[in-house]
Amino acid sequence: MRWRHTISVCLVLALTPFPAASEEADVAVRDAWVREPPPGMTMMAGFMTLRNNSSRPQVLVSASSSGFETVMIHRTIVKDGMTGMVHAPQVELAPKASLIFAPGGYHLMLINPNRTLRAGDRVVINLEFRGGLVLPVACEVRK
Amino acid sequence: MNRLALRFGIMMTIVALAATLAGIWLAASDRENTSRAMLRPDRVMTVFPDPKPMRAFALTDHQNRVFDLSRLQGKWSFLFFGFTHCPDVCPTTLAELARARDDIARNSVGAEDVQFVFISVDPNRDTAGKLGQYVTYFHTTFLGVTGNDAQIAKLAAQLDAAYQVAFTPGMENYPVYHTTTVFLVDPRARYHAMFTPPLDAEAIARRFKVLRELEGAKAT
Repeated sequence: MRWRHTISVCLVLALTPFPAASEEADVAVRDAWVREPPPGMTMMAGFMTLRNNSSRPQVLVSASSSGFETVMIHRTIVKDGMTGMVHAPQVELAPKASLIFAPGGYHLMLINPNRTLRAGDRVVINLEFRGGLVLPVACEVRK
Repeated sequence: MNRLALRFGIMMTIVALAATLAGIWLAASDRENTSRAMLRPDRVMTVFPDPKPMRAFALTDHQNRVFDLSRLQGKWSFLFFGFTHCPDVCPTTLAELARARDDIARNSVGAEDVQFVFISVDPNRDTAGKLGQYVTYFHTTFLGVTGNDAQIAKLAAQLDAAYQVAFTPGMENYPVYHTTTVFLVDPRARYHAMFTPPLDAEAIARRFKVLRELEGAKAT
């Protein structure tokens, strides 16, 4: 039942990757994907392109998913010749601008999936913005 | 007026002649240096003019075999430091290195003389079994290697490989920081070159094949 609901959400999202500007589409997400984890691994990263269609800044404050125990917004940083990750408490999208979550930069840190995810699977992650906007994003698992 | 024009003409002729000569000289020296051009550090690879011989160290690979200095002899070794709980940089790097290896394997010389070694700086979580599962997911030929803190440090120090494990008892996902440089050790176990991100499989493979050819020619 829940699975079917997830599938329908995925389909709707898949068919409308960049919805026309409307009240619900202040922020649009496309090319959302999650890297397939190596066997036994419970830490994964999600990437996507966010587009702020509105004329005011939009602030991503958190992310969640029923498919994972924990979802966090992280950023890969370089410090003293070393690379590490830091928690990004919020990410601001400038008006009419895009922001890319990509390897080596911002990413969704996905911890402890509730099922084994393999390339081709889909998982929905909810992005929560300041002001109450919640955007469900269908992410494809890719190798 | 006329003299001025003549003088100007002579001057221009000299300038043109000098430019032509300089052009010829530059072209010639450039040809001479084509093989050396790759030695210049750039965004892909830095080759050291005097490769540094590696010294003794002892780690353990994911098949529980000793991985020491002798394992670096007779093969080109690509070394990368990381940890399996790393969701972003390590998978990105290992996937890119896997593509580089496939690219190298397609060359007529092949990849029999090449090994890719992932050194975990997080032995607390990365057991041999976990490491094996992890590295072979990216490429069946990849090796996972680790040891205790002192053993890892002994290899890392020789390569100036920086890392820091913020181990906190009771904390499941403690942070680990590590260099993302890929180190290349030659078959004589000398630290010969390094690749710095952003890593690109094609560029790594292309530059490696040229270096291997040059070194091979030197050896014979």
